[in-house]
Amino acid sequence: MSNVTTIPCRSRLKALWHKWRFHLNILLLLIPLGFMPAYFADEAMERGDNGLGERDVGDIQVGPWSLRLAEMHDAAPTLDGLAGYMKEFNAALCDTCIGQVKATYLRIGKPRSLRTAGAIFSGSPYRMGTELPVPMKTPPDAELWITMEGWDGILHQASIPLRRASQATIAWLNAQGGKP
Amino acid sequence: MSKKSRSKIWFLVHSWLALPIWFFVLIVCVTGTLAVLSQEIVWLANPSMRASQPTDDAPRLSYQQVIEAINKAEPLTVVQSISRPDGAHFALDVGVSYPDGRSVVVYVNPYSGVIQGVAPEFNFQAFTRALHGWWLVPFTNGYSWGWYLVSFLGLPLLASLVTGLVVYKRFWKGFFRPTLRFRHGARIFWGDFHRLSGIWSIWFIAVISITGTWFLIQALLFDNQISISTETNLPSMSREAVPLSADGTPPPRIDLDRAIAIAAQEIPGLEASFVSLPGNAYSHLEVGGRGWYPLMFQTAALNPYNGEVDALRLISDRSALEFVTESMRPLHTGDFGGIWIKLIWAFFGLLLSMMVLSGLLIWTKRTALATANAFRRNNKKSPMATRNELSEAGL
Repeated sequence: MSNVTTIPCRSRLKALWHKWRFHLNILLLLIPLGFMPAYFADEAMERGDNGLGERDVGDIQVGPWSLRLAEMHDAAPTLDGLAGYMKEFNAALCDTCIGQVKATYLRIGKPRSLRTAGAIFSGSPYRMGTELPVPMKTPPDAELWITMEGWDGILHQASIPLRRASQATIAWLNAQGGKP
Repeated sequence: MSKKSRSKIWFLVHSWLALPIWFFVLIVCVTGTLAVLSQEIVWLANPSMRASQPTDDAPRLSYQQVIEAINKAEPLTVVQSISRPDGAHFALDVGVSYPDGRSVVVYVNPYSGVIQGVAPEFNFQAFTRALHGWWLVPFTNGYSWGWYLVSFLGLPLLASLVTGLVVYKRFWKGFFRPTLRFRHGARIFWGDFHRLSGIWSIWFIAVISITGTWFLIQALLFDNQISISTETNLPSMSREAVPLSADGTPPPRIDLDRAIAIAAQEIPGLEASFVSLPGNAYSHLEVGGRGWYPLMFQTAALNPYNGEVDALRLISDRSALEFVTESMRPLHTGDFGGIWIKLIWAFFGLLLSMMVLSGLLIWTKRTALATANAFRRNNKKSPMATRNELSEAGL
């Protein structure tokens, strides 16, 4: 009985395979065509053609200095292997503080000291970037702290609600069921 | 199983390896060939990428002189890296950041320091490499699945080489008696072409398929958090290593030529082909170039304030395994000895593309028939059918 039913089924599959196997090529060629717009958008984003990042957070005053902060992608943090979830931020220093600021750091929660100031920004003062670790247990009302260090050793700090810095991260934390 | 029917199976395996994805394989071969010469193609298309020596004895500017020339011409532009492509006919590639936030590569004349132009928005080199390397599928967490898709082809390519040599009896004779018959119809011509280019490409197909398979292994290792690297991550410089300045202005950094001279003391024979400027106040200045073994770079990381060498990566630092695995990429791309090696790689890349095409043409004219016959033989066990196919197995 089972032979009667499986044989036509198998041969139908075989016939389908025979008829359509070369269309696999078309499917495979559609892949890069489909990804091409995203590829070029990403290239333009990396180059900075579309501004600081995908979503501007705005100017943030840090003591006498200020910086403009942006989310590289208006999206949730991404998993970076064993390092955990990371969120990319970009920043540009104010014109007058470029020669004075030695380093800029980003951290969720208030740093206890310069040693724990957080992720350091790298790149040019016109557009520098950092990867901020976002623990899955981060409470949605957490604060994002910016620490700026001067060449003479002076420190200035400011904070903004994480909600203002990245709504996508808050949505992601809520979806994780993040509890304090 | 008789010897003949075994070779028949090898022949069928060989014939079916690239099918039914032959067009995908062909495009991967063609884009790979283009990627090998992409730098030269851009050079031909874009005059600002060229660097003509004004007079025969005109000296090249040093890296420090280049950075000074850029700073003078565009005081607000921040230089992030300088790299000297292989070949005296190329301008320097200088990575810069503009006050409007854009990061671009500009082409700088190595004799005059003049900024000749900005690299076009459409980066042909990066595009062909991304298309060939990962089929444009983005990298999200770990390697892109497009990378797996392309690098997996290394296995059927390797199998094609092996089965091809098995079915081509006494293939070494083809070296002494090259046959390419033009006047016996298309099937004979493409058959001859496939065999002739095949035997002369043995080394190339072996190199490309083995290195391609390595790319697959590399992705598998990375995505499973397995590291074979002996290189330790260089930590940022300590706070004490960066001088404080009482007046709040940035402390002076050592000049690039001094940095290269210091690195050359540690790396005998260093010909610096790139300089990466520090990304932040606590990161290093990196200097590097090829060593005696052209497939690898040697680098030094320096404290940019006092010139101390904090890390070195020499050829002798590589483990035996790394020596092999780090050679894989340059062997695949042919980018390790200037234009002539690239031209050889591109020529054989083109030949390999033609082999995919000729293989397909032979297949349409013969293999479909042979396979149908083989099935019929299995079903009927007819001695007539077997005889027919065996005469075809001679390829």
